[in-house]
Amino acid sequence: MDEQACPRCKTTKYRNPSLKLMVNVCGHTLCEACVDLLFLKGSGSCPECNVPLRRNNFRVQLFEDPMVEKEVDIRRRILRDYNKREEDFGSLEEYNDYLEEIESIVYNLCNNIEIIETNKRIEAYKRDNREVIQRNKTRVGRDEYELEEMLELERVQEEARKKELEELELEHKKKKARDKQALIEELMHSGKDAAQIVSEFAEKAEKQREEEKQLPPLKSINEFSTGIKFGQTTDTTFLPVPKSEEGPLFIYEPLELITEGPMPPPPSDIEGMGYISHIRAETPQENAGGFTSTLACQRALQEALQCLYYTSTAGMAAGT
Amino acid sequence: MYPVSSQKRSWTFANETLLQAFRVEQNTKYIELHKEEAQGREDYFLTPEEERLLLKQYEVYLADFCRRFEPTMPKCVVGTAFHYFKRFYLNNTPMDYHPKEILATCVFVACKVEEFNVSIYQFVNNIKGDRNKATDIVLSNELLLIGQLNYYLTIHNPFRPIEGFLIDIKTRSNMQNPERLRPHIDSFIDQTFFTDACLLHTPSQLGLAAVLHAASKEQENLDSYVTDLLFVSAREKLPGLIDAVRKIRIMVKQYQQPDRDRVKAIEKKLDKCRNQANNPDSELYKERLRRLYTDEDDIPADDASFHIADVSSETSTMNISQ
Repeated sequence: MDEQACPRCKTTKYRNPSLKLMVNVCGHTLCEACVDLLFLKGSGSCPECNVPLRRNNFRVQLFEDPMVEKEVDIRRRILRDYNKREEDFGSLEEYNDYLEEIESIVYNLCNNIEIIETNKRIEAYKRDNREVIQRNKTRVGRDEYELEEMLELERVQEEARKKELEELELEHKKKKARDKQALIEELMHSGKDAAQIVSEFAEKAEKQREEEKQLPPLKSINEFSTGIKFGQTTDTTFLPVPKSEEGPLFIYEPLELITEGPMPPPPSDIEGMGYISHIRAETPQENAGGFTSTLACQRALQEALQCLYYTSTAGMAAGT
Repeated sequence: MYPVSSQKRSWTFANETLLQAFRVEQNTKYIELHKEEAQGREDYFLTPEEERLLLKQYEVYLADFCRRFEPTMPKCVVGTAFHYFKRFYLNNTPMDYHPKEILATCVFVACKVEEFNVSIYQFVNNIKGDRNKATDIVLSNELLLIGQLNYYLTIHNPFRPIEGFLIDIKTRSNMQNPERLRPHIDSFIDQTFFTDACLLHTPSQLGLAAVLHAASKEQENLDSYVTDLLFVSAREKLPGLIDAVRKIRIMVKQYQQPDRDRVKAIEKKLDKCRNQANNPDSELYKERLRRLYTDEDDIPADDASFHIADVSSETSTMNISQ
């Protein structure tokens, strides 16, 4: 293994065992001390390639070859946008072409080939597929969420099992101690033959062990047979449908026109018999509001004929 | 829809005697309440007849006010204002609320209800005299008025029925140029505003009466239109309509303007016997407002910049509850 060294201050792992090498998006390494020194203000340029860098983008170098770090970085960035899945494509061939495109982009960016053109290609892709990208992002988010939930569940189960085992162990130990104590007391106080007592106790212990074996470990039931936990909805992203009080069903009753006068002409007659020709046509603005001259005409006629039959009847109180 | 309206249900009355009964009742009630003010004088209060004359005069003022109003108001605002004015004084006496104040308030509310958009400043520009005071009076009486109208604000005026009749006549009868009826119709409707016709008959009957009256002025005869086209399927209802039209026309014919001198005398009398608690010029009114004002907020009573409009809503609600 070659000695790792900071290219700037030439410190090596040998001279400083706590040396931490950091790497940024350009793929050039720097030791932690140099990063602290150079990027005091939060941002600066790489001493080797002069690319402007931010301090908080520095990561500890995991791979020996800094170029691998660079590629990992680039790949992560590209895959954030190139997040289509196989389901998004019509055929396997298209999907393969897509994967190949990703690889070529990553390769170009890693090796500084046609950088500008490649970036343009990425931009164009982002523009064209904005919706798909956004949708897949949220889907990825949800997948991650579900995964996390599953892990959490497993962890909880694991813990419960551990605890159970511990308790069982403890119980066992206690019992053994109790048995031993009983045996000794028996030996001390009873006048029977010691060998007989020992064999009696051994038999008893054997019997108990067998009983325990027959008893399967108690498992508390806290899930349905489908594996869904009690009281936990399968998909937490949906709200439950609110229960609505359903009243009696609506029954349509046709409106009754109370005229207390001669019947006004039906809408068909208003145009057919020429009523319409005696009022002005509606303006486009009025028409846009849903008003037609037929309506206005009908209303005037209706109001003219309503309550023509009215005759004064018994008295009424004012304003009641 | 007039047949299902509050106007038909609550504000169309059987006959003039009934209206008269309401007015007399309001008058007696007021006199009962303020008996001690008269100090035994017989003619201290207005009689129902005097009230009637006074209100007739103020109806003339109302029509003048609406005619001179700037910007010109549509006919339906005038009709609605008249309705409000008449309805208000069925349940109140002019001794309690001076018709001068109610008149302006009626027109203001009618402008709003009929969607004739004028601001209060534009509105008071049409009033002679102190405009600030007029603003105060109109705004403080607004809630009182609509409360007394029982919040029934929709008014069915005869104007749309008239349009309907004209369309129908143009379409179905063979009358020559029905448009020439219009001036007569308009003047007839203006005349009906001075009568109680709108409290006794339906808007369509008023409209038909106006059309028939105009036709007779133009030496035309629309009788066959009414009998053969309108009532062809309900001949038995015809006498009721003829009766209504006749009554409306008689009412309009019999109307006469009140005598100016008599009205002046009545107004003088009113200045003495009116309810001082509702007179914005009286000390009692100002005192009451001041008390209200200081009760509501803890502002010193001798606040010089005291303004009536600030408490308009409180006073109106108080008036209603009285």
